[in-house]
Amino acid sequence: MKSFKRKTIVNAEISTASLPDIVFLLLFFFMVTAVIRTDEKLVKYEVPKAKHINKAEMKTLIRELQVGLPANTRLGTEPLISDGSHYLKINELVQWVNQEKATLPEPYKDQMIIVLKADEAVKMGLIADIQQELRKSNARKVLYRSKENI
Amino acid sequence: MKITRKVNQEPVNTGSMADIAFLLLIFFLVSTTILQEKGLMITLPPDQEKQPVMPVNDRNLFKISINSKNEFLIQDEPKQDLVGLREELRMFILNPTEASDLAESPKKAIVSLKSNRGTDYAAFIAVLDEVKGAYYDIYGERVGLSGDQYRHLDLDDSRQLALYERGKEGIPMNISIAEPNK
Repeated sequence: MKSFKRKTIVNAEISTASLPDIVFLLLFFFMVTAVIRTDEKLVKYEVPKAKHINKAEMKTLIRELQVGLPANTRLGTEPLISDGSHYLKINELVQWVNQEKATLPEPYKDQMIIVLKADEAVKMGLIADIQQELRKSNARKVLYRSKENI
Repeated sequence: MKITRKVNQEPVNTGSMADIAFLLLIFFLVSTTILQEKGLMITLPPDQEKQPVMPVNDRNLFKISINSKNEFLIQDEPKQDLVGLREELRMFILNPTEASDLAESPKKAIVSLKSNRGTDYAAFIAVLDEVKGAYYDIYGERVGLSGDQYRHLDLDDSRQLALYERGKEGIPMNISIAEPNK
């Protein structure tokens, strides 16, 4: 009887030569998509949680309003409104909306989406006042920014 | 005479290249937040002065109000939480049993949200979330999906867009946000 035993030594090593390239690709992706924000938040807000949320498409139509306690404690402890770069009073909102609308191309003017980033603890009175002003200035698409609650 | 020189090609050690890239990658992963504007989208009613007052049949109006202590009054019943609200809304909008105190038709059903000036924003969002959830459940059910699946339909895909359109056809999301009372 012959025994058919053959020893085969298989040396299968996965080549890791392309690993740096893959990592570099990922790195470039992140470098390109990263938005480095330098502006300080004027107001502090913690958006509420919600389950049934959608994404806003058409990022160009989005304008942001932030509502929350001022980050600078010298401004008191009443919630304030900010557009990311300055504080806005309630009676300045209509003007602000019209200014923002002017930056949009004509067919999209009435499709502007206001993203409202308001703190959980803000009272509805202020939110309702903001809504009133938005209704007056015909910027009626509002997205209440919320965190996904899973 | 030929002078042969050995060309001394020392290979550069690229073994640590990956590590450097990894470090950079991890830095960017940690330090970036991909901007995603997610939330509850709603279209506010037009300005009051330009708006004709429409009489609404009382049976078509589902009233939810929240007081300044964040307590709910749902269809004139005081509630402490929102358990069962979605089911109640579904029955109200679809009205499968043709009950006389529920909506005449899904198209005519209006959900009215009324808050107080002292209501917390978080409570308002919680209610709005439930109302939208109820509508998505209804839409999803009509095309054989769950509410969550319906919400995540990709509207750039023609087949999914067709499902989306079929789901919400004839049932508008009539969510009315009333003026808060003082």
